[in-house]
Amino acid sequence: MKRRIFLKSICTVSAIAVTAPSTLLAKEAMKGENALSYDAAVMAITSGKAVTASDKVKLVVPEIAENGAVVPVKVHVESPMTDTDYVKAIHVLSSKNGNARCADVMLTPLNGKGYFATRVKLGATQDVVALVEMSDGTFLRAAKSVKVTIGGCG
Amino acid sequence: MAEARKSMIKFKPKKFKVGDTIKVDFIVIHPMDTGLKKDKKTGEIKPAHFIDTITFSLDGKPFTTMKVWETVSTNPYFSVNLKVLGKGKVTVEYSDNTGEKNSKSKKLKPKG
Repeated sequence: MKRRIFLKSICTVSAIAVTAPSTLLAKEAMKGENALSYDAAVMAITSGKAVTASDKVKLVVPEIAENGAVVPVKVHVESPMTDTDYVKAIHVLSSKNGNARCADVMLTPLNGKGYFATRVKLGATQDVVALVEMSDGTFLRAAKSVKVTIGGCG
Repeated sequence: MAEARKSMIKFKPKKFKVGDTIKVDFIVIHPMDTGLKKDKKTGEIKPAHFIDTITFSLDGKPFTTMKVWETVSTNPYFSVNLKVLGKGKVTVEYSDNTGEKNSKSKKLKPKG
């Protein structure tokens, strides 16, 4: 009886010992020097201006990422892309990476379409967010959750 | 000194006319190191080394500029559109956080 309790306690203790440092590392591991959290990144981009969820912004990401190191992201924004009405910038962010920013893409009417695609790293299951600035100064937003089984940052 | 990097510009579709809007894909061999991973051989942290600025130009005039972070995948891929108004040359210039600068060009040759 005592032996069983003793063995049980060892198993629990070693389980904790194994998980705790790696969760700490996972949190620390994601922060680099110029890392901005999601909220700080949104503030840096919008200066606090209102952001509206819009279905003019179509965000295409996989539901489940096979590999968190290479997650394809496509952003399509409905826009005539004329000199007076065009997509000024597409910002791709992640909600939980230590550095929430992935790319800021400044477009011009010569692009012809409000479109940008890339591949990003996701450290864990989280949202990919497309923050779009239109030429009239308004901000639109679309977000989608991506399940990540193998984290992409280390 | 910066070593020349392998990169590629692709137009999609390959055949297009004046007035078409094509995709311009750019892919470059670059580690995009976050500065958070250890080198498996040495055990040392690999310093952050990632492309941070990209400019797409047509005949010297920028039509897309990008600010990019270490959160973009290794050997990054970028894609934007371009309205074809005539013959020209597309140039992609990029620099990374170490100050290394490179560029790649491709001639834009619409049919008709």
